[in-house]
Amino acid sequence: MRLSWLNNRFTITFGVIFVLVAIWNVYIGFHDHGLIEGRVIGPNGAPVAGATVTLFEQTLLVNQERGKTTTDAEGRFKFTGHHMHRPYLEAEKEGVGQFGPHQYPLYFQGEDLILKKPIELAPRTS
Amino acid sequence: MARWLRPRRRSHWPVHLALALISALMLIPFYWVLKTSLTGENIFAYPPSLLPHDPNPFYFVDVWYAIPFLRYLINSVVVSVLVVVANVFLNAMAGYALTRDFPGKAATIMLFLSCMMIPFQVTIIPAYLITAKLHLLNSYFGMALPLMSTIICIFIFKAAFEAIPHSLVEAARIDGVPDWQIMFRLIMPLTKPAIATNVILSFIWSWNSFLWPLVVVRDVDMQTLPLGLSRFMSVVEDTTGALYAFCVMVLVPGLLIFLLAQKEFIKGLTSGATKG
Repeated sequence: MRLSWLNNRFTITFGVIFVLVAIWNVYIGFHDHGLIEGRVIGPNGAPVAGATVTLFEQTLLVNQERGKTTTDAEGRFKFTGHHMHRPYLEAEKEGVGQFGPHQYPLYFQGEDLILKKPIELAPRTS
Repeated sequence: MARWLRPRRRSHWPVHLALALISALMLIPFYWVLKTSLTGENIFAYPPSLLPHDPNPFYFVDVWYAIPFLRYLINSVVVSVLVVVANVFLNAMAGYALTRDFPGKAATIMLFLSCMMIPFQVTIIPAYLITAKLHLLNSYFGMALPLMSTIICIFIFKAAFEAIPHSLVEAARIDGVPDWQIMFRLIMPLTKPAIATNVILSFIWSWNSFLWPLVVVRDVDMQTLPLGLSRFMSVVEDTTGALYAFCVMVLVPGLLIFLLAQKEFIKGLTSGATKG
């Protein structure tokens, strides 16, 4: 059986592209639950309970608020089911401070985003 | 032999250096497009920064989701495949016919050569009317139709076929092989560079075609990548990074095909230039 066509630069190039696309799609399939998770801390590093965290979407075509939540006793917050690739997060608590809006660009829509660095509220300057 | 009589081996490095510099100069626009697509830097910034600051792929992600890129890509691929297949098949047949003797051959060649001087824009109205009569407006076939045979490519095949020893064709004919088999089973396998040249040229012409698809396509879902780029520019303003990312996404397939087939392409362009 002649398989010389396999050892051809066209076959190899497009084959590699096809494999990479397939791997990427499998990766997306396992990481597109639309989860955004994080923690909010105050200027002193302590968790802030009851802070309001707002989720915005800003793309080339859209600029809209997509959700709002408050942090729990440990300063944790969670959004589920988003379909964005350019989410913005804003957080604030009266008397503690404010953060953002800060952009978290994603590689694909609905990518799970677990913030490694907590959101740190800073006192308002104005 | 005296040393001064010996043929001196010429050093090639000045030529290579000059070629490398010219190549680098020609690659600057591509580099600039790629750099801007990764950074979104203002292209009019002065002094310009040569190295990208904080490169990221997110403008590509923006483009992917801002427009139906996959749809445009599929449309471009379908039209280009139709054009490439038709070009190789039809141009090979026309090129083979021009290697044979028949009454009016010189006049036919003159007609072809003179037709090359007429720009496509001049014939766009009759082309549109013919496409409309054939009920091919707003279809893949209609978009591919005017590019399905190109005169330059016919002459590339003709030159390649003429470089094949005539005795080979005659031997096949004496053995009773019909003409279509002579062409597709004997001559075509010997003219791979010409086929590669046809594939590359027709693919690039079809891929970059803007005016004809703009005229025949009415449905947004039937638009090709160049039309999508134009629509993107008209809908979304102030998007330097995304615009350049889109340009890169349109350019890459053509560049890839060219780089993969460049050896055969150059052979194909030079075959027939020298004989013997």
